[in-house]
Amino acid sequence: MSALVRETVRLAGGREQAVLRGGRGPVLVWLHGLGGVTPDDPAALALAERWSVVAPVAPGFDRDEDAADLRGVHDLALRADDLFEALGLEGALVAGHSFGAMLAAELAAHAPRRVARLLLVSPLGWWRDDEPAADFFAVPPGSDASPYRRTPPEAVERARRAVARVLWPLPDKGLRRRLYRVRARSVVLSGDRDPFVPASYARDLAAGLGGAPCVVEAGAGHDLPYERPDAVAAALDALRAA
Amino acid sequence: MKFSWFHLMPYPDLPEDFRDRHRSVWVDAPARALYDPARGVRLYRDYLDELEHADAVGFDGVCVNEHHASAYGLMPSPNLMAAALARGTTRAKLVVLGDSVALYDPPVRVAEELAMLDVLSGGRVVAGFPVGLPMDAAFAMGVNPVTLREKHREGVELVLRAWSAREPFAFNGRFTQLRYVNPWPRPLQDPRPPVWIPGGSSPETWDYCAANDFLYANLSYSGFRAAKSALDGYWAAVERAGKARNPYRAAFLQLFGVAESDAAAEKLYKDAVLYSYRSGLHVPPEFALPPGYLTDAGARRAAAAVAPTATMSWEELKAGGHAVVGSPDTVVAAIEELAATLGVGHLLALLHFGTLSKEATFANTELFAREVMPRVRGLFKDHEDAWWPKEPGR
Repeated sequence: MSALVRETVRLAGGREQAVLRGGRGPVLVWLHGLGGVTPDDPAALALAERWSVVAPVAPGFDRDEDAADLRGVHDLALRADDLFEALGLEGALVAGHSFGAMLAAELAAHAPRRVARLLLVSPLGWWRDDEPAADFFAVPPGSDASPYRRTPPEAVERARRAVARVLWPLPDKGLRRRLYRVRARSVVLSGDRDPFVPASYARDLAAGLGGAPCVVEAGAGHDLPYERPDAVAAALDALRAA
Repeated sequence: MKFSWFHLMPYPDLPEDFRDRHRSVWVDAPARALYDPARGVRLYRDYLDELEHADAVGFDGVCVNEHHASAYGLMPSPNLMAAALARGTTRAKLVVLGDSVALYDPPVRVAEELAMLDVLSGGRVVAGFPVGLPMDAAFAMGVNPVTLREKHREGVELVLRAWSAREPFAFNGRFTQLRYVNPWPRPLQDPRPPVWIPGGSSPETWDYCAANDFLYANLSYSGFRAAKSALDGYWAAVERAGKARNPYRAAFLQLFGVAESDAAAEKLYKDAVLYSYRSGLHVPPEFALPPGYLTDAGARRAAAAVAPTATMSWEELKAGGHAVVGSPDTVVAAIEELAATLGVGHLLALLHFGTLSKEATFANTELFAREVMPRVRGLFKDHEDAWWPKEPGR
């Protein structure tokens, strides 16, 4: 598969946002995780084998100033709504990983008509006091658990800032209270070796989405789309067929 | 030159294998397992005695500071310690270095408490406003590191306006909204206590201090020889701002151990110095460098600089000027070199460190006051110090 192609989309309000595109087939919006997305991202390229992938670069991952006025998760969700408006997307198939899965769920809760089908892979956004997840903001640099192993070194700090701006110090920003608004047919996919998203979080989230199917992959970690691309492909097929 | 006695109030009883068993002295070193409350009673008593002793033997100021979730410093509230000192001292200025304004919601609380201290002490307060170390501000207190500096600046602006405003006012900030700002009491010092900003090597901090006539206090622990580049940067900022290069615009923190001879000093202080650096500065990069706390370039510089400090040998700590340990002659020579190279008029002396006992700390303090201070006090005597309280005290 050839690399994704980068383009700049103009949003209402005078802002711009980068989007990577590639592949063939029905349109799939892919919202990247903590480490960001590049034109040769293996997870996005695997999806592009069977889908026309539209992969926005989340605000701040490219340039800090794009995120300077994001003061919380509502601003972030509205920015995603602005992008969908600019791209003419309604009733879309949206899949997200980690931070991107949280963003996908927030978009579906804030602007339900944008999302008809929703795949949440290793989704952040949840918290349980009885099972506190590991702190993805305090992973030793270079460790096996680092979500930045695939991120170009010069982009790591920018990626961390972009997420921390909205998610610090832990990622429960009230998604639970808004889930009732989501109308999309949803699937949650998660790994049982994920330190940042325990399986119970994935199950809770699926339950909150009206009893959506929840698939917990044995042996998979937080980077599930890179570790188990077939599981993501299978979940998308199931979602499309449903 | 002026001399202030700086206390960190460290916890001195961390076990030998602490570094192997815990990734950090800050943030997640478990208090229930490592901290003994009965020991804490004795430590606070001794530590306040040491600060009061510094007042008695002639130090110009006594310093308290703010750290959280840490065996490095048992002072989450500097204002509580300063309140005790306001009553326990009569002459020394109370250098609160300081209140991390971004950690107080709303920051008007800082204006209130420092004003209370100023009144309690008869106008002896220096108002320090640190941004806050990442371990304290971002991890222990949960403030977003990406916007921490912005929040700090806004908080300082609010505190200073609260002290200077002629009428109650409304404040519509990004981080704080208040319909009514009108703190009682007002500080005794008029228009306000001197403002000190503790900082490291950030050019923005140097420009901020220079532009606003705040004192810049370098609290690096990286040794006075390595601090020259930071002070050079600050003095350049002072010049850019069109201000006179007055030594009393700057302060520097330095560890000292004084004894009758170099050999005696090494014997007395070496273990305590090593404990202070090895355990007290045992912080992993993930806690020292949260997202957005530093610029990308600053983060790379810091990552390279932070780690080695905690593992430096005794010889390296002496050679870098991290620890100035020796006879009065040796210490005087180091202060003269420090004054000449850094140009700072305020010296913050760390005379208790690590595991040092109260008796040893008293002896160190007395020797410094008797054998060192008189020989270097005349440095910079021709400069006016506008960064020091003018009130005579209670």
